[in-house]
Amino acid sequence: MNPLILTIILMTVFLGTMIVMASSHWLMIWIGFEMNLLAIIPILMKKYSPRAMEASTKYFLTQATASMLLMMAIIINLMHSGQWTITKVFNPTASIIMTLALAMKLGLTPFHFWVPEVTQGISLTSGLILLTWQKLAPMSILYQISPSINLNILLTMAVLSILVGGWGGLNQTQLRKIMAYSSIAHMGWMTAILVYNPTLTMLNMLIYIMMTLTMFMLFIHSSSTTTLSLSHTWNKAPLITTLILITLLSMGGLPPLSGFMPKWMIIQELTKNSSIILPTLMAIMALLNLYFYTRLTYSTSLTMFPSTNNMKMKWQFETKQITLLPPLIIASSLLLPLTPMLSILD
Amino acid sequence: MLKIIIPTIMLMPLTWLSKKNMIWINTTTYSLLISLISLSLLNQPNNNSLNFSLMFFSDPLSAPLLVLTTWLLPLMLMASQHHLSKEPLIRKKLYITMLAMLQTFLIMTFTTTELISFYILFEATLVPTLIIITRWGNQTERLNAGLYFLFYTLVGSLPLLVALISIQNLTGSLNFLLIQYWNQALPDSWSNIFLWLACMMAFMVKMPLYGLHLWLPKAHVEAPIAGSMVLAAILLKLGGYGMLRITMMLNPQTNFMAYPFLMLSLWGMIMTSSICLRQTDLKSLIAYSSVSHMALVIVAVLIQTPWSYMGATALMIAHGLTSSMLFCLANSNYERTHSRTMILARGLQTLLPLMAAWWLLASLTNLALPPSINLIGELFVVMSSFSWSNITIILMGANITITALYSLYMLITTQRGKYTHHINSIKPSFTRENALMALHMTPLLLLSLNPKIILGFTY
Repeated sequence: MNPLILTIILMTVFLGTMIVMASSHWLMIWIGFEMNLLAIIPILMKKYSPRAMEASTKYFLTQATASMLLMMAIIINLMHSGQWTITKVFNPTASIIMTLALAMKLGLTPFHFWVPEVTQGISLTSGLILLTWQKLAPMSILYQISPSINLNILLTMAVLSILVGGWGGLNQTQLRKIMAYSSIAHMGWMTAILVYNPTLTMLNMLIYIMMTLTMFMLFIHSSSTTTLSLSHTWNKAPLITTLILITLLSMGGLPPLSGFMPKWMIIQELTKNSSIILPTLMAIMALLNLYFYTRLTYSTSLTMFPSTNNMKMKWQFETKQITLLPPLIIASSLLLPLTPMLSILD
Repeated sequence: MLKIIIPTIMLMPLTWLSKKNMIWINTTTYSLLISLISLSLLNQPNNNSLNFSLMFFSDPLSAPLLVLTTWLLPLMLMASQHHLSKEPLIRKKLYITMLAMLQTFLIMTFTTTELISFYILFEATLVPTLIIITRWGNQTERLNAGLYFLFYTLVGSLPLLVALISIQNLTGSLNFLLIQYWNQALPDSWSNIFLWLACMMAFMVKMPLYGLHLWLPKAHVEAPIAGSMVLAAILLKLGGYGMLRITMMLNPQTNFMAYPFLMLSLWGMIMTSSICLRQTDLKSLIAYSSVSHMALVIVAVLIQTPWSYMGATALMIAHGLTSSMLFCLANSNYERTHSRTMILARGLQTLLPLMAAWWLLASLTNLALPPSINLIGELFVVMSSFSWSNITIILMGANITITALYSLYMLITTQRGKYTHHINSIKPSFTRENALMALHMTPLLLLSLNPKIILGFTY
């Protein structure tokens, strides 16, 4: 794509999210969402193919529906409170509709069906933007209306998301679908703690973005989109296999890596609020996620998967440049001792 | 305590910066030096623990386990030299780095004061062990073994995290030094029963308890020698150590909650011992014998008498050294014949007489011959379980008999009789192997002279 046009479109995406996060007027927030949606459609369609078209159509339809539901909730809120400022939502109906709309934008169960299919149909870089940047705007709105969210609906959606994210990823070999199901599960963890302590939602979002960025960068490095092509990494760049191992285990939530930190803090916060069965259930279901991450490490790092050549190193085309990989690796694996610093997120 | 932890962490830069012909020498020497430092902890003058800082302490229970851990690292390095000799340099360094990382986590686990820190480090030991088993094991079954190992332990230990946090809510702190003074009886309720279960299941899986032991034969058999050694000697004892620490807080539920686990352990030790009699795979036999010995430790910990705690601690240390030695002996067979089948490498006494001496000593300590510390452990456990209930003596006696049976079966099959014709071209024993066996056996024999250092905190 023409670099100037690409810059303008990316800036619009950025601006849309910033408008959502910085506004205090409900209409501006809706406008921000729409701007974000319209600008990201050409990004999703960077590779012009029918599959990409299908993916961006699905994305557009779900997000537009969600924006309309959001608008309805805003109007009901306006009707009952008489003002447009974003504070807690005063009417329970409006709150429920708004929660459902934002869940649709995030990809929580039962509105998760679009996430794997859209992520699969687009290129790796667009998938990266979809799974990390696009989650910021709805999450910031959820953060701001968190005092008034109906707990039952949110917790049901969260627990079902963790379950679906774990279970759905079990049968996948396509890396983008695996990352999509991982995103569904992590969104579940984030929204589960939203009502009790929104700071931890932000912590989880931060760590999740770091880990997903790292994973996508490592995939982009060898342009691998299936497990099979990832399993050839030992032949091309053996160091990448170690990094994949560390980041995948961190995403699975294994101590002492930093992916354990959000899970630990969330379980602690839920237990302190006297719900014991819920965090136990969530933790056990996160093990489903760990299973398919471990299976990925088995084919990539921990075995020398049968490869197409017999030589020690395979000659290959130029690898894509991955930006900022060392800081990302450190952030996605070694942050656990810095847990007391999460007070800066308050 | 930092005087042990920092040198162990620094073992990792040591391996990466050493020259090719010095990596084994450097790492083995320095890990031996570190184990000498840890020996000073065995001097526990008064009844309290030695508190080094807010975060680390050592008491008569953790000091012997710590010394065992640090003693075992040079032994693991010595045992791994042969099977890694053909690997490229970077992979050797990666292997040693994994071992050093595991060692760091284990040292911190045994000496930490806070129970959540114990939990995090307990889980952290899983990652290097998984990598060692899956990356450097020898057969295709190692993938399955790694999965079983990882997931059995994680499913058991996630409820432990929730339980520890809820205990922290109730009592205000999980610092172990404080809890022993703040201890109150847990009120009787359904949720406290689940709390008891959540606390104990992680350690039951790790020990392992008889019904949850499926991961152990897989993991022990598929792991390379250092992996088997550290699994058998230390990682199982993590479960025992955790149980000994956490049962302090769980009274009086233990009085009735322990029954199912006691039954499973008592029955399981006989079952696993009996399976040993029918094994063809040498490493599998040693793995099942580990399950059997650990079942004794579970019985001892759940009975909660001073004598049984002494027996549990002594048995953990003794079994650690014995089991690790047996794995080294099995590995010396494996390196020569590349098969774990016992009958393929029989009659070795005529070919390798000194190794036969080590086999004899290892088998004798495995069957708990007096005056070894294995006997002290088993005897204390048998006596305390007899005082708990007279009928257990039947099961315990049967177990001791069957243990003797399979230990002698293993000894006779591998050592006595006529050797097979294909085996007369094996290499003679290396000095390294003899040194390895001697370094295992010497602490065992010397400890029988002064067993009070391994008898734990109820001495």
